[in-house]
Amino acid sequence: MKPQIAAGLACYLMATTASADVVVGNPMAVTGPIPDLVAPMVLAVDLAAEHVNAQGGMFASGEKFVIARADSQCDPVAAVDAVTKLINVSMVTAIVGPVCSGATIAQADSVSIPAGVVTLSVSASSPMITNMESGTDLVFRSAASDAYQGVALAELAIAKGIMDIAVSYANDDYNAGIAEVFVNSFSEMGGTVTSNEAHEPNKASYRAEVATMGAGSDNLALFAYYGSGGITIMRNALETGAFSTFIGADGMLAQETIDQIGAENLGGATFTTSTPNLTTAGYAAFKGLAEAADVPSASPFVANSYDAAFMMALAIEKAGSADRSAISASLRSIANAPGEVIQAGEFAKAKAILAAGGDIHYNGAAGPQDFDANGDVLGYFSANVVKDGVWEGTIIE
Amino acid sequence: MWETFGFEFVNFYLIPGLVLGCIYALGAIGITLTFSILRFANFAHGEVMMIGGYFTWTAMVLSNDLFGIPLHPIIAAIPAVMLAIALFILVDRYFYKPFRSAPAIRVVMASFGMMLVIRSFVQAVWGPNQLTFVPGIAKPNELVKNLTASVDMMILVPNKHFWIIAGTIVIMLALSWLLTKTKIGKGMRAVSDSPELAKVSGIDVEVIVKATWCVGGFCAVAAGVFLAMDLQMLETTMGFRMLLPMFAAAILGGIGRPFGAVVGGLVIGLAEELSVYPWLGDGSLISPGYKTGVAFTIMVIMLVVRPSGLFKGRLF
Amino acid sequence: MDMLIGYSLYAISLLTVGGIYAILALGLNIQWGYAGLFNVGIAGFAAIGAYTFALMTTAPSSYHFGGLDLPLPLAIFCAMILSGLVAFFIGLICIRLRSDYLAISTIGIAEIIKLFLKNETELTNGPRGINKIPRVWEHLTEERFYTKSPMSWFNDAQGWEQFFDSLPIWWWQPFFCATILLIVYVIYKLLETAQRSPWGRMMTAIRENENAAHAAGKDVTRRRIEAFVIGAMVMGLAGAVLSQHLRLIDPTNTFDPSKMTFLVWVMLIAGGSGNNRGAIFGAFLVWTIWSASEIFINSGLHIFGEMISSMDISLLKTRAGYLRMVVIGLLLQYILQKYPDGIMPESRPVPSGIKL
Repeated sequence: MKPQIAAGLACYLMATTASADVVVGNPMAVTGPIPDLVAPMVLAVDLAAEHVNAQGGMFASGEKFVIARADSQCDPVAAVDAVTKLINVSMVTAIVGPVCSGATIAQADSVSIPAGVVTLSVSASSPMITNMESGTDLVFRSAASDAYQGVALAELAIAKGIMDIAVSYANDDYNAGIAEVFVNSFSEMGGTVTSNEAHEPNKASYRAEVATMGAGSDNLALFAYYGSGGITIMRNALETGAFSTFIGADGMLAQETIDQIGAENLGGATFTTSTPNLTTAGYAAFKGLAEAADVPSASPFVANSYDAAFMMALAIEKAGSADRSAISASLRSIANAPGEVIQAGEFAKAKAILAAGGDIHYNGAAGPQDFDANGDVLGYFSANVVKDGVWEGTIIE
Repeated sequence: MWETFGFEFVNFYLIPGLVLGCIYALGAIGITLTFSILRFANFAHGEVMMIGGYFTWTAMVLSNDLFGIPLHPIIAAIPAVMLAIALFILVDRYFYKPFRSAPAIRVVMASFGMMLVIRSFVQAVWGPNQLTFVPGIAKPNELVKNLTASVDMMILVPNKHFWIIAGTIVIMLALSWLLTKTKIGKGMRAVSDSPELAKVSGIDVEVIVKATWCVGGFCAVAAGVFLAMDLQMLETTMGFRMLLPMFAAAILGGIGRPFGAVVGGLVIGLAEELSVYPWLGDGSLISPGYKTGVAFTIMVIMLVVRPSGLFKGRLF
Repeated sequence: MDMLIGYSLYAISLLTVGGIYAILALGLNIQWGYAGLFNVGIAGFAAIGAYTFALMTTAPSSYHFGGLDLPLPLAIFCAMILSGLVAFFIGLICIRLRSDYLAISTIGIAEIIKLFLKNETELTNGPRGINKIPRVWEHLTEERFYTKSPMSWFNDAQGWEQFFDSLPIWWWQPFFCATILLIVYVIYKLLETAQRSPWGRMMTAIRENENAAHAAGKDVTRRRIEAFVIGAMVMGLAGAVLSQHLRLIDPTNTFDPSKMTFLVWVMLIAGGSGNNRGAIFGAFLVWTIWSASEIFINSGLHIFGEMISSMDISLLKTRAGYLRMVVIGLLLQYILQKYPDGIMPESRPVPSGIKL
């Protein structure tokens, strides 16, 4: 056993350290509760790296921009272990990821902040992340906080004339958080929440729950992942006729929902998502690139994942070295104004400007990626309804 | 909208509870048989249930793609049953049999390990994403609806639930015949009561063990297919999350009592659904967030108050 | 140099987490190895310890009850006591159940504990969990600790800040690791003493032949409850330490039974139940395999991809995590069959004059 371990370690060391690559850690929940949401996000991160390397690589010497991936499983234990390996063994310059909020907070508090490494999460949206740092500036995210999406959804509900609503949320960190924001803002805007119940994800039947809640209202605000009970609860609600109108957030937004329930049954469903504004130049640039590489550009958080990886490359390029301590400041510098606008994929152009001593301002595919003091970004949200068998989104102004 | 039905307790709480109970019951039969004949709690049972659903899905897709014949899940389940039984017997041969005379903990550990292996294998081969079993939503059967509505007792049951309930009844009758009328069934009951006595009276215990895996595998795949028919989709964790309620059902009915397991399954299924009925006021009796706890609570209370179960099962 | 520090820090983190699992495995060894109690609710007791510690030591927060901002050792003590108390009540009602039945009921109880932590949002912040849990040694660098006694006796805030800035950024990691290893050592010594004491010999007697022990006038039920409670207290301690290591705990993912309960069982059985050294060895071995296997599989895939550049390994990459679980599961089966009594089997002093 021993010699094999030694041989394996030697191979591993050679594989990672032989060339002077720039290595960025990418903990993603490739296994765990939401692998289906994560798979296209992984592709987007790889696409960004591909673009960087195809356009001259990093620095004047053209070093390779390497993504070191690890499995964070949406689980604090796994994420802490994965990031420990990335930071100490793979010697990464910075972290792009993880996906889930709990994993992001745990790895940042436990590993990356104490090590002085920047984390740029691709999709963590918990409001808890906003104020999690004390005195450091090391945690960023390219996705907007749920605090914004919950409000946007409440506004949407009121605008649709929904005045009473039953709320059912899956009892996990993401859905419980956004449900709370929604309930508060919906009540403040004058709506009535007829019932507000958690449900345990992944049950075989929710008929009794929807029947009980359906007695109070025809409208259901559903916060769940489609892959862990969301589709079942919606199907049960439609089968029993308990609800006719559904609203909810990105967890339900997937082609899978339409394929399984059937477009003809989803007439009353509207789900919001943190989305790229499809009309912006930033998204148009990304969409073309993504389609050429067969990456589903409109899936949730795919554009955010691309933005995060691409911005990290720009920030390291701007810093001029793979030194960890310089990344935080340069990340702010490339993402925020002033500077010449850079669209998704324009790495060579950005590189030339930076080499000439100029400033750049990255215009994200997902939306403006201008970090505020807490490292948060504002995002666009879209309301999505089924049209011709696919989700069609319109930006909520 | 409820006043138009006037019968919602039956339609939305009782019948769904029965359907869930049937699925638990079928799973619990396999658990109770292995528990009493092989004397260990098989944690991999839920995973066999799940992989049975995946085999069935594959058979349906293959027949549709290769021959253009869409199969009903119940027909596609036939090859799946065979594969699942083969899997059970292989697992038993290579992973459980070496521990036959060892303390029970080792084979329980082995079954826990198999649970992990089978689930990860399915995730690696079929992928971790959900698979659509039957698309669309199941509307209530029109005939029954109109017939019962004419006597002011409108019953809303989709066809899939008729299949599940009828299928469970058929399997129960067949099992009852097998256990009481056939030689192998009598042997199974004998080994369950006392393996030593069975051995000295000339029963080949290894044959009985194989027969147990066959019956358990058959019931597990049936439960998996029925669950997939009800959910209309497949998921890699669906076996595991049914496992503890099925254990609860087996214990409630009494270990080694297949019909007790059926009663236990129905009780657990009904209790879960009825726990959120608005018995007091408008809201659910208990928060749906605690619904999973209902089965566990019943199980723990049963273990403490009457560990031999409702039908006086074996105690080890 | 950086590389050397990096690898050392990873080694330290392996020892840290391995040490936490070793505490859990030792706790389980009291229950299973000494008394033959088949407890599959480890995650539940660890969760009680972790939540008690977190609620008592965090700074006041609007998300959950407290935090009470109490001293760390007091919180660890309370975590153990509370875990033990819960175990006592469970023990009172469940302890007479034998093997598999106790296993199934402890699984159920652990799930109920998790449901409670998940649903009582006012108390625990529900599924979103508790963060900013102070980690011993590192917590000294937090303002709320160095401005308070006893730290404020030695230096003022500014002085402390300067002092911590002068240390390397990872200074607390070896200290944290050493603290955990010290805890493992202390528990190990205590358990070894207990095992050789009359109490320990009586435990073994009860485990091996309950009826004989009962006939010899031993209070079997009481001894079993004792073992159950002490084991649960050790698990509560492990939970408190785990919450420090993670700094965020949540009921669903952190205390997932397959990674908490099951892994600890694998460690104990592989290491050798009944043998405290085996439990510790098993914990470090299995955790190292668990954690380091990702590095090897990823680099293996990387090399594989380089060799056959035309092949698309993206599918393999996303599925690699699952293949890893298959491999770990099969490895467990191999160890179970190859070392039926664990790698370090239980050794008992042989009475003189008896040939075995």
